[in-house]
Amino acid sequence: MSDIGNARLKFYCDEHRCISCDGCSVACAEAHELPANINRRKVVTMNEGIFGLEYSLSIACMHCTDAPCEQVCPTDCFYIREDGIVLHDKDKCIGCAYCLYACPFGAPQFPQDGAFSIKGVMDKCTMCAGGPEETNSDKERELYGQNRIAEGKVPVCAAMCSTKALLVGDSAEISDIYRERVLSIGHGAKTQPYGWSTAYGSKI
Amino acid sequence: MKSKYIIIALLALSSLAFGYSDSVVWSDNLVDNILGYDKEGSLHLGQYFTILQSTYFKPLFFGVLFGVPAIFLIHYLIIGPMIFSHDRKKIYVFTLFNRIVHAIAGIAFILIIPTGLIMMFATTFGGGEFVRICKDIHAISTLLFIVSIVPMFLMWLRPMLPSSDDIKWMMILGGYLNKRKDPVPAGRFNAGQKMWFWLATLGGFLMIGTGVAMYFQDFRLDILVSNSISQIDFLRASAIIHNVLGLAVLALFLTHIYMSVFAIKGAIHSMINGYKEEEEVEILHSSYYKELKEKGEA
Ligand code: HEM
Ligand code: SF4
Ligand code: SF4
Ligand code: SF4
Repeated sequence: MSDIGNARLKFYCDEHRCISCDGCSVACAEAHELPANINRRKVVTMNEGIFGLEYSLSIACMHCTDAPCEQVCPTDCFYIREDGIVLHDKDKCIGCAYCLYACPFGAPQFPQDGAFSIKGVMDKCTMCAGGPEETNSDKERELYGQNRIAEGKVPVCAAMCSTKALLVGDSAEISDIYRERVLSIGHGAKTQPYGWSTAYGSKI
Repeated sequence: MKSKYIIIALLALSSLAFGYSDSVVWSDNLVDNILGYDKEGSLHLGQYFTILQSTYFKPLFFGVLFGVPAIFLIHYLIIGPMIFSHDRKKIYVFTLFNRIVHAIAGIAFILIIPTGLIMMFATTFGGGEFVRICKDIHAISTLLFIVSIVPMFLMWLRPMLPSSDDIKWMMILGGYLNKRKDPVPAGRFNAGQKMWFWLATLGGFLMIGTGVAMYFQDFRLDILVSNSISQIDFLRASAIIHNVLGLAVLALFLTHIYMSVFAIKGAIHSMINGYKEEEEVEILHSSYYKELKEKGEA
């Protein structure tokens, strides 16, 4: 990870591009073979039905700086990688859900085991970086899903995003990309509707 | 036969699928979470919980767990236990029903309190399977607690109501600060016992309620919806209340054990065989003793 230096890996979802297709969450669930009631990534629509204010965005764990989940966990099973990815150890986790109460994004989720609805251990987005087990071991795959970061691949949700709304990477770079997008989008304000005069000029 | 099980399994599965699509925490309610953290109208419970759990709860529980017994050890060494004569008559104070209900409550507490502490100090116990089993025991023994605390509430409600003796009892701290055998103002139960009763019952109901909420996590309560309280804020409030009240329950539970096992020699026998020493009643429950004398029962 030395080439990353001080980078902190972050997600950013460009609300102007997200078309609410749910491709990211489906890709994530398939790639990591998640159980049916676990959605590490979720597309939500904000201000639904409010004129002029509606937009959609995709959220998962945001891999917070000073992650609140890490601060409250009674088993201290979280660890934050040098690149900022927030991961946890499922062998230590007891499924107490304190991380969910602390999380500002509702990211931690709990599989419900069997008839007594006893909560299983916590699962959340790993930024496709697996867990504390040996990299790419069967156990890592079984508990945490694929470790794409170790293979130098982009997290699968962002990789498949058809509009490239979902960005992931070094936070400084992400913000540059977004700034560039905001500055370059559009081609001026239209003052006249397209019509005869625009197409053929005012002369007949 | 087989088809019956298949139908049951399908029903169970469909209820799971339905349960998910109806999730109160992770569906579109996720939006409420985000707005609920730091925006206008937020209850700020996310921050409160994070601050309390990350910096205050553990040291507070540690302090109560070791501080309260330390104070009692000092009390025991300096003032020592009350010893009452075993030569006089015995007075029948707890019926078999009282004792059975109390025994079930006692078992429930002995299971609930240590397992709760193990969860709070999960890192010390290494987390994982052992703590997960403790978590399940904590949840299952809540059933024992429920079946004992409801009858206890009803059977002792009347004698536990506040009386004028309680203020006098508080003023002299129950007479525990000296070894003199002055009659202590108290009826059938003294002010200290009453505090424990109300904490164990009303507080106990709250502990049950908040615990059950955290156990089931993803369910819909119409009162919350109509007051636009998000489920996640309800869970956060539950976790805060459960831990703050848990501190008080732990403190008074330790006190209760000290009083019944160490501070008053032989007091525990009354909860086993139902009889208290006459002198113990005369001194520690003087108003009750007078009442019994008037009725000619002592
Ligand atoms: C579920 C937990 C418990 C509840 C709700 C509970 C509640 C009560 C209450 C309300 C009383 C009457 C007031 C009093 O005498 O303090 C009582 C008495 C008593 N309890 Fe408990 N108790 C619990 C657990 C225990 C445990 C674990 C012990 C064992 C050490 C214990 C030993 C006693 C004794 C010896 C008495 C009789 C004290 C006396 O006669 O003055 N209790 N309990
Ligand atoms: S689980 Fe929540 S609190 Fe923890 S890093 Fe992810 S978004 Fe942040
Ligand atoms: S559910 Fe697991 S990861 Fe979350 S706070 Fe509890 S022990 Fe830690
Ligand atoms: S980064 Fe990986 S684990 Fe996280 S939401 Fe995207 S696909 Fe799922």
